Formats: sequence, C-alpha cells, structure tokens
Amino acid sequence: MKIAVLVKQVPAVDTVKIDEKTGTMIRDGVDAELNPLDLHAVEAAVRIKEARQDASITAISMGPMTAQKAVRYAIAMGADDGLLLSDRKFGGADTLATARTLARAIKKAGPFDLLLAGERATDGETGQVGPACAELLGASVLSYVSAIEELSGEKVRVVRAVEGGHETVEAKLPAMVIPVKEMNVPRLCTLSGKLRAKKADVEILTADDISMAAEETGLTGSATQVVNVTYPKVTRCGRRIAAADGIDAAIGEIMKIFEDKNCLEKAEAV
Amino acid sequence: MSAEVWTLAEVRGGKIHPVSRELLAWGKELADALGAPLASVVVGSGIKEQSASLAAYGADKVYVADAPEFENFKADITSATLAEMIEKYKPSILIASATTQGRTVMPMLSSRIGCGLTADCTELAIDRESKRLIQTRPAIGGNVMADIKTKGRDPQMCTVRPKSKRPLSPDASRECETIEFAPKKELLESLVKFIKFEAEKSVGLPLQEAEIIVSGGKGMKNAKNFARLEELARLLGGSVGASRMAVDLGWAPYSAQVGLSGKSVTPRLYLAFGISGAVQHIAGMSGAETIVAVNQDPEAPIFRVADLAVQGDAMEMLGGLIEAVKKYKGLR
Amino acid sequence: MGYGSLTKEIFEELASAVGRAAAIIDADALENYAYDQAGRVWGHMPEAVVRPRNTEQVSSVMKIASKYRIPVTPRGAGSGLNGGAVPLAGGVVLSLERMNKILEIDKINRVAVVEPGVVTNDLCRAAAAEGFLYAGYPMSTETSFIGGNFATNAGGGKVIRYGSTRRHVLGAEVVLASGEILHLGGRFRKDTWGYSLLNLLAGSEGTLAIATKLIVNLEPKPGKVVNLLACYPDVEKLVESVAKVIGSGRRIISCEFMDRNLVKYTTEYLGCALPEQERSEGYLLIQVEGDTDEQLEEGYETVGKICLEGGAFEVFVAESRTDSAAMWNVRQNGLEGMRARDPYACASGDLMVPLSAVPEMLRRIKRISGEWNVEIGIISHIGDGNLHPIPLKPEGMTPERWASYAEEFFSALINEAISLGGVGSGEHGVGHVKQKVLTENKTPAELEIMRGIKKAFDPQNILNPGKMFFKLQ
Repeated sequence: MKIAVLVKQVPAVDTVKIDEKTGTMIRDGVDAELNPLDLHAVEAAVRIKEARQDASITAISMGPMTAQKAVRYAIAMGADDGLLLSDRKFGGADTLATARTLARAIKKAGPFDLLLAGERATDGETGQVGPACAELLGASVLSYVSAIEELSGEKVRVVRAVEGGHETVEAKLPAMVIPVKEMNVPRLCTLSGKLRAKKADVEILTADDISMAAEETGLTGSATQVVNVTYPKVTRCGRRIAAADGIDAAIGEIMKIFEDKNCLEKAEAV
Repeated sequence: MSAEVWTLAEVRGGKIHPVSRELLAWGKELADALGAPLASVVVGSGIKEQSASLAAYGADKVYVADAPEFENFKADITSATLAEMIEKYKPSILIASATTQGRTVMPMLSSRIGCGLTADCTELAIDRESKRLIQTRPAIGGNVMADIKTKGRDPQMCTVRPKSKRPLSPDASRECETIEFAPKKELLESLVKFIKFEAEKSVGLPLQEAEIIVSGGKGMKNAKNFARLEELARLLGGSVGASRMAVDLGWAPYSAQVGLSGKSVTPRLYLAFGISGAVQHIAGMSGAETIVAVNQDPEAPIFRVADLAVQGDAMEMLGGLIEAVKKYKGLR
Repeated sequence: MGYGSLTKEIFEELASAVGRAAAIIDADALENYAYDQAGRVWGHMPEAVVRPRNTEQVSSVMKIASKYRIPVTPRGAGSGLNGGAVPLAGGVVLSLERMNKILEIDKINRVAVVEPGVVTNDLCRAAAAEGFLYAGYPMSTETSFIGGNFATNAGGGKVIRYGSTRRHVLGAEVVLASGEILHLGGRFRKDTWGYSLLNLLAGSEGTLAIATKLIVNLEPKPGKVVNLLACYPDVEKLVESVAKVIGSGRRIISCEFMDRNLVKYTTEYLGCALPEQERSEGYLLIQVEGDTDEQLEEGYETVGKICLEGGAFEVFVAESRTDSAAMWNVRQNGLEGMRARDPYACASGDLMVPLSAVPEMLRRIKRISGEWNVEIGIISHIGDGNLHPIPLKPEGMTPERWASYAEEFFSALINEAISLGGVGSGEHGVGHVKQKVLTENKTPAELEIMRGIKKAFDPQNILNPGKMFFKLQ
C-alpha cells in the first residue's frame, strides 16, 4: 500500500507577535515548523504502516527549499521518503494553484492508494488544498476524520466528526483522509528517527520536472489574489478587578453580569 | 440584469439547516448592490417542499436538485451536481457556509471547475467600479485582514463562518420561483457509502449555537479542574469551550475548541477561565456580546478584549462562582 | 525574652502605616497566610497580616514591630516547601504581594530592577521581550516571587548552566528589623567594598532583613534549545549517563530526572502519557543549547547518543514548543502529581550531594524508604546532584503522626547525604521543617557565628523567629 502525506511548513504561529504600532507581523526569531495539524496526518500514516507490512509512506510538500525541514520531520516520525516541490514559479499560489501543482506531482510519483492531509495549515487557515487536490486525482474525499476503523486494499471505513455527532462512512481507494485532532496523539520523534531523516532522500521537483506551465501554477495560475491588507485592532479594554483585593467582590461583579444577561433564569436544577 | 448571486443551502438530516438563512442575508446585500436576483441552491433528498421556505429569508429563486442519492450528504456527487448547475445557469457569485459540508464540497468544486475559492470570509462587498466581489478574511492568526478578489472564470466563490451574520427577519408574504434540476444519472454515483450517524452527547448546545459559553485554558492546570467548568456551564444553561492548549493537553475534545483552528463563536456571554488569549483564540471568540476573563497574569492578552477582566486564580474564581450561583438558585 | 502581644492599638498603628484595606485581622482571611506549600500540618496562624505597597511602609511596619517587639514573618508567594513563611510565633505576616512591579529593564547595565512581589515568570517574560534572559528558573516560576527566590536562594532547572538566585542578584534595597533601610550592591558585577552582606542575605529566609527592591542580572539572549527525553530500563544506568552527559562539554541547560512512580502519578493526574511508560524505570530530561542550528544539532545528537550507548532504550527529541511542553509538563507538575495521589505527600526533600555520589545516594534513598515503609517518587535536578524524594503518607497513619514521621525520615536521608559530602538542602531552604537536623549537623563554631550574625542584624529576634538555626524560645 502506497501512502502519501501532504505536509506544509508554517511559521510557529504561537510565537508570532504583532508590532502594535504598525500592525505588522514581527518575523524576527519566528521559527518554522511542520504544520501542527499535519502531524495527525503523519501519525495516522505511520500507525497504518506499523500495522501492515506492505505500506510505504512518502511525505510531499510544496515550498521554499527550507521546507525540506518539514518533510524531514515527517520522515523522522516514520515516513519512508520525501518529495518537495520547490520552484520560484510556484510562489504565490492560491489554494487552487497549489492543489493543481500537488496533484500533478502526486500523479507523477504515484499512484497512491491512500492520501492524507492536515485539516488546515495554521498560517493560511483555509483547509482547501486537501479536498481540492483529491478531486483532481479522482480520489474519494474523507474530511474531518476522527478514526480510521478499517482499511483494506480496496476500501477504507472512517468516522467523521461533523456538526452534532459522528458519521461513519466507507469509501473506495484511492481516498484522501483528512484527520481532525482527536484522531490521534502525534508521537515525539526519536533520535534514531532524526538521524535517519537527516540522511533520507528528499527529492526536489521543479515546475519543469512535473511539466507545469507557468500559467497553471504560482501567482499567475491563481484564481484569487490579495488586493489589500489591513490590520485590525481587537480591543475592548473593559473594567479590571483583582481577586486579591477581595474575591467575594469579584464574584459579585460576575454575578451581576449573570443577572443582566438572564443567565440565572435558565439554570437547571442539579 | 446581472448574473445571479447564489447561496448554497445546507441540508442536515433531511432538513434545511438555519445556517442557510444566514447565507441569504450575506447574499442579499451583494445581490442588491449588483441589481441581481438572489437564489439558493438546495441539494438533498425529498427537500423540494421545504425549499420554498427560503423565500421568506430573501431568496428570489431556489434551484433544487432532489434525488434519493442525496439522502446523506455526499461531497463528491454534490460537487459534480453543482458543477453542472453552474455550467447551465452561470451565476456570478456562490456563497457557502464554512461548515464541515461547505468546507469539503467547495474546494472540490473549486478544482473541478477551475474557479477560485476564498475560505472563511468575515466581510463581503461589491467593488463599485469593477462590480467584482471583494472577500475579506482574517490571516496570520487573525492579525491581518486580507481583501481578496477572484479573477478569471465566474462564479466568484467563498465560504463564510456560520453565526457571523443574523438572518433577515422573515417575510412570509414573499414568494420565490422554484427551478428543479435533475442531475445526470452517472453523476449520482458516489464513491462514498454512508453507514451510520451517531449524535453527540455533550453538555448543552453545540458551541456555535450556545448563548453562554464557559471556556477554559491551560490555567485550569489539569483535566480534573477542567471538568468543573461543566458544572458552571450546566448551572447557567451554557456550553463548555476550550482553548487550543487545553485541547492539546487532552482536557477537552477537539469539538470544544474555540479559535481559528477550532470554532468561531458568538454567544451573548463568554467566560474565559485561565485562557491567556493567543491571537488565534481571540479571533474565534471576540464576536461575543460580553466577555468575562479570569486570569492570573495581569498582562494576559485576553484582558484586552474582555468587558470584565478579573486578575485572579481561575479555579478559585470558578469554585466561588459555582457556589454563588447555587446559592442564588437556592439549590444548596 | 517574650514577645509583645499584638493589641488592638498596635494593629491600628500598623493599619495606619499601610492603609486600612491592606491590614487584615479577620480570622478567615488570616488563614490564607498561616501555611505555605510545606502543607497545612506545618502551619501556624498569624495575628495580623499587613500588605505594604512600598519600602517606606515596610520600614514603618518594622519600626512599629521593633518598638513593641512584635514578631514579623515576611512572606512572598507562599510557594516555599519548608515552612519558611509560616508565622511560628504568631504576630504579623508581612506579605509582599502588592509590591509587584517591574520597575525598570536597564539595557545599558543589563539589569532589571524589580519589587520582591514580582512573579518570577513575569520577570522572565519582560526580560525576553527586551531580548534578554533572566536566568533564574525555579520550577514554580508561575507562582513564586523573585523576593522569595532571593530569600531562599532558589535554584531550579537551569542551575547547571546559570547558577542559583544568589548569582543573579546584583543589588538590593533591604529593610532591617529596626526599620532602617540599607542599599547593598548595585548595577554592577564586581564588589569588594566590604563584606558581601548581599550574598549573606541571599538564602537567609527573611531572618535578617526584608528585601524591598532587587537589581537582578540579565543574561544575553540564549541560543536555541532542544529537549531530549531519554527512557531507561534501570536507574543505575541512567545515573551513569548523567555523568557522561555533563562531562561531554556540550551546552547543557537542564538535566532532570523523574522516576517511575513520579511519572506514573503525575501522568495520571494530568491525564497525559509519556512514551514508553510501561517499561521505563526512569527518565532523563535534558535541555541542550546551541547558537546555530548546526551547533544545536551536533550537541543534541552527541548527548542523545551518550544516553543510548549508556543504556537508554529510546531517546525522544523535542524541537517545537508543543513537543517540549509535553515533556516538561510532567516535570513541572511532579509535586502536584504526587499530591494528587496523596495530599500529604511531603515536598521538603531537597538532598544535595556531589554528582559523583548520586548513584550511592539513590541506593540509600531506596533502602531507607524500604526500611521506613514509605512509598516515594523521585524528581531531581540530577545534573547538579540535587534530589527531591517525595514520600507518600503510609496508609492508616494520622496526619499528625506523619508530620513528625516524615521529618524523622528526612533527617535519616539528610544524614546519609551529609555522610556522602552533601548538605540537607540545595534550594528550598531550611524553614522550620528541617531545623532540627540542621542544628544537629553544624559544628558549634559555625552555629556560634551564625547566631552572632543574626544578633547583629536583628538583636530583638523579631524577624521570622523560629527559622533556620534559631529555635523559638
């Protein structure tokens, strides 16, 4: 069984700080990391590999050459090899152009039986690339997956976390499985995994390598473009109180809000 | 007359979900600005009669694709059907909700028909000169708002967050034209087979519908403390939310996560216990009517968006509040 | 000599010195100031609490106290583990919680000027925001105050790289028992201008003076770090690795040990898991630093290989904040984890031995806890030979009996540590919990000097009486 996991390198969002005067992002000292939600996709792939003898995992990414780090991280977790699409022509791609480019590379490197992708990247926050890419490959799309219940050579049965509950569905392979966080706890990398990843082959593919014309990819191939950027300031700066100056007073203040908002009428008896 | 503005109605469990009405409120402004008709597309099974109810919320037309194959939402055949309908009727704009359905089917449609798609818009407007759609969405953890235009082929497509606009007041006197669309048989063969659905047993309403949310973060210290949030939520008739950190630590399920990588909520009252307020969390809850935050750290960013900022120990305050509410209700 | 009693009139005088709202006499409110993290069984009720806002108010309080000979116990966050902030003689607790401002980050002199009630982690954050490092890192950074760190000469998880709090404090403004204000040291790093009273005050547990302002050293911004978690099938092997890791010459910031019990109870409490928990007898948590990616990589690979060659069956690597937090979460919550298992888990174990004696010390801890029939979990800054065995109360024993039993148990351990060339406390201090064993183990000559110093600073013995060397009369 051939498995491909789509991964992305993102700035470590938790460390992003905004310059309050100019409203711009302070990029100094912001580390890059493998998109946290992709970790669940990699983990799912590695668990499948651990359960079956015949599986191999390829981590696939698109980005600058430094994004090799993200691909190698996936290898350190247990992927076999990696593939990075890196070319200036890919720069500035929207989700549609990205999906198109990835799909082309996956076709070239494949066929794959199972595709996995993170729910969304913490930088772009769109979650569109996975389903868009799968559609181009003719793969079934299983999004918001909280558990893989069964996997055979032909089909996969999953549980999807949707509004108000969990849905169980079955799909033919090839399929794109997009996990949500609750599917698994991603493993920590081992030192031996790290050492293996350092030496592993990460194939670099350019636009020419996948016969991608400039107008199909990157900024030129994108159907959406950013025309303006603003920096909102979310502040209310309401009243401040310190519990240290009297916890009962603080509780009283909140109780007043409960009353104002009629929260105490609805309260159920316990 | 300009090409139509479409909204993708959402069908859950055989019923048109109220989020479909919100989409019409979004679409109405755009249709008016363009002088174009507003239409809703309904894809479902046995859904035709309900579809007309969308007229009251602003739909001039409804396009209905009604087939037994649509009984449980299937993204692939929905995407294929929408592609056919778009090919035939050529709308200028298509808006869907950023639900698990919309977020799945819309990107598939986007690559199927080669049209751009903008996720999670918070504002939509029509550019006066070009008459093109300007889609505004948060980026970089909500620190930046990007205005996005779609070039090339129409429709211009986007998803918007549920609960980010109120539906128009219903006008029962309104009527709409219903246009039935029968998809080709081969388009109705899904690769996905529905097996079963199990409804979630959670405290209170789903987060996005909750009017009161009691939320907790890392400051709750451990899973056991975190569980006490439920007690207060139950007393207030609210739901429990969580920061990304609390979910990462396994104290709360992912379905409780509030923030950009979780749910965007707009309750009347949001109580944040021990949540420092990372930008990505604030982006998901700053639309609440009233925000009360309890945190030990006087510099916690959440205090900047709070109407009432209490500097203090989250557990101590939580315990005190539970007692106070019980006492108020005479339940002790 | 007895103490004066705290009359209503004296309380009024105190209240007018600090402001009515900042003086407490209500019994319910006093309760919060009666004990520290050593636990309630070690507590004692104060008669009043004052919460001054500035140095002048502290000075006024001390003038009133010395006039009437009222004992005064200074208190920081109350996160101490040996009863140092417990008002044994009653009297007044002087809480520094409202003196909590970071007054200045002075980039030219590379120091921060802070009030004693600043939470250590807030100082760390403020320093980091300006591109510096405050290197003090007691494991309770989210609660402990910088003033308490100074009073106990707190250590913590970065001592092997940066030293204890004493090394970070360059100057202090202190109030003496008489109310007089002294300025010691300053915004500089050399000082041979007389005896170093500043160094003496670090670790004096509020028995000599009350610090009202501290000038602390800021380090240049540190390099990047990677955390390693090494899992060992047996503790002896783990300890052997520690010496090799420390001796590798790589930049080790922290080298921490957690034993099986501690990890078990803490992960149960936190609702999480560490990898390989089933077959690990102990974990090493090692933080390696590097200025460049290459240096960092070389550093952690070298250290990781030492662990693997030394018998670890797996070494995990955390580069991201999330992964690092997953590893450190268990370490930082170790005490709470043991207390969740048993609220009487005793936290005052703070044995200090030379690194070379750690294997033998661990053997003795194991033997003695067996003999005393006490279940323990061990958490340790093992890289500098500092061990915190945390015993659980044996089933059926009353809390009162346990207080003395645990004290005797620790005395036995401390005697072993001393016989191995160590001391009875590395970072938590003496308080009153370890007073007996301390005085038994110091020579009369040393005790004599210590008592002389105390008398020079506090002739009426009103500052934190009953602590360290000085029994309550």
